[in-house]
Amino acid sequence: MTAIAAKPAAGSAINPTAMVVGVVLLIILLGIAYVISPGLGLMALIGVVIGGVMIGFGVHFVPVGGAPAAMGQAPGIATGVAMLAAGAGLAGLFGGAWAADQGLVIAVITGGVGGGLMMAITCMMVNFVYVFGMGIPAASGKVAKDPITGDTQPEYKSQGTEGHGLPFVSFVGGVIGGVLGGAGGTLIYLELLDLYKATLPTMMSISAVQALPIAISVAGMFAIGLFLVNAVLTAYNITGTIEGPHDPKFKRWPRAIVASAVASALCGLVAILIVTI
Amino acid sequence: MEQIVFGIGITALAGALATVAGSAEDTESNIGSQGDPNSQVQLAPQMGFVHRIFNKAVAGEPPAYALWCALGAGLAWAFLAMHVNAVLAIVLGSILAVFVQGIYATTAYLGRTASLSKFGQPVYVDILKSMTTVAMAHAFVAIFCTVTICYLINAALGHPFPLPLLGFIWGIALGAAGSATGNPYYGKERQYQNQKFGAGVPISASGNIVRYAEAGERNSLDNGFFTAKFGGPASGLCFGLIVFLELWRTILFEKIGAGWGAIIVGVLIILIFTIVDRYIEVWARKNYGPYTAPVKEAAP
Repeated sequence: MTAIAAKPAAGSAINPTAMVVGVVLLIILLGIAYVISPGLGLMALIGVVIGGVMIGFGVHFVPVGGAPAAMGQAPGIATGVAMLAAGAGLAGLFGGAWAADQGLVIAVITGGVGGGLMMAITCMMVNFVYVFGMGIPAASGKVAKDPITGDTQPEYKSQGTEGHGLPFVSFVGGVIGGVLGGAGGTLIYLELLDLYKATLPTMMSISAVQALPIAISVAGMFAIGLFLVNAVLTAYNITGTIEGPHDPKFKRWPRAIVASAVASALCGLVAILIVTI
Repeated sequence: MEQIVFGIGITALAGALATVAGSAEDTESNIGSQGDPNSQVQLAPQMGFVHRIFNKAVAGEPPAYALWCALGAGLAWAFLAMHVNAVLAIVLGSILAVFVQGIYATTAYLGRTASLSKFGQPVYVDILKSMTTVAMAHAFVAIFCTVTICYLINAALGHPFPLPLLGFIWGIALGAAGSATGNPYYGKERQYQNQKFGAGVPISASGNIVRYAEAGERNSLDNGFFTAKFGGPASGLCFGLIVFLELWRTILFEKIGAGWGAIIVGVLIILIFTIVDRYIEVWARKNYGPYTAPVKEAAP
């Protein structure tokens, strides 16, 4: 079957073979980490994979309308998926890294709340501009009723468009996406920071105090890099735009979970190899 | 106590700087036409609508600002390591980053516009000369303010990340906030000023952007002049609130309950914004009502 003859599956179909291959790849990568560094390295990699999966899953919630949203032709926030998710997630990482001294749980939750806060403010301002700047009420193009508030949508939709603005369910989706992204990014950062703090002093023959700024910088860079990897990967999965958790495209998340896990494991392995070989 | 008062002062200053940065960022991106609405600027000549709008969207605003702010912060960091005065270091770092922005804007405009030559779109040298410098000036304000925020966070509030990493993080957040808030206003309200107010642009109207001003042809300076009145300040408010509230909840409540204080306050702030958002949504539905198709006026 050629690419032209292939039926468009709307992307929701899950390819079982690809999923199995993904899981096998993940196990192999975890196995390599176990062989190289059975204790600290493997634990760090598992943390990185969990964090990556949280980011990948979280991006599905973020309502992104891309270019059509900028003309009020489609609902969502008028920017790119990867960019917006990165903006929220990194704002979360900023808060999480600040709270790193207070333990894993506090730091991860702080990171999540930071990401959620960024998205709550941004989503509110989007509706503010639509309503008070452009006089356009929010309307979803994918559902007849808002699943949370029960507000009907089609009669508010302008003719010739797919909807506009952010219905309440999209707002909630944005906040959930920010929370998951911020928490995932912070988890990756903390796991790598612990690894680097333990290994860098002996590897570079320097004191722990001297190694700390290097560990923070490298872990921060890897956390940002892994964030972008997972955000871009998910952007491909949802093909650019999504309204939020009520969008039919949201059902594609299992694919992104496997892909994010494999990509995070591979990138995480590189992050571990630089200090264990 | 003194430490907290000092922290609140720095937080307020960072919030004010962020508001200016967000406003300048949105105006810069609208003058340079870098946000998502630029899809229409790129599309217009292909539909037969030749225009005099700047066109530099070879990257989205968040990654572009991540680059420029990280560059400005990185260079400022290098100057600080050379024991240059902090203010001078930030100014020098921002100036060098703005030169990169200027090169980016020039090459992007020439490249993108030249690619439209087969549709009859000329490269206007006067547009390049007059818009690039204005965009650079706004970019300088945005980058300078953001790098200063990063410096304050790092040096005064003691965030562990080094300056370039903070520049990257807040640069990408600045671009995300600015493009999310400012893009619809530039796209719908300015480029499609000829369409019905209070409704989305029909997909069939794509590419038919407004090309004429009160006198002569419209250019991107007119667009910046227009969006600076609402889209710019709204973007500034958005980024200012993000920076201020994120720092405020950490500085004031981090020590309470071993970190849980800042988390609870963060959740409460999210709930407040959720209520405000819902209020705005319901207000719009009540006051504007459902969509009504425009009634065609009878011929006289």
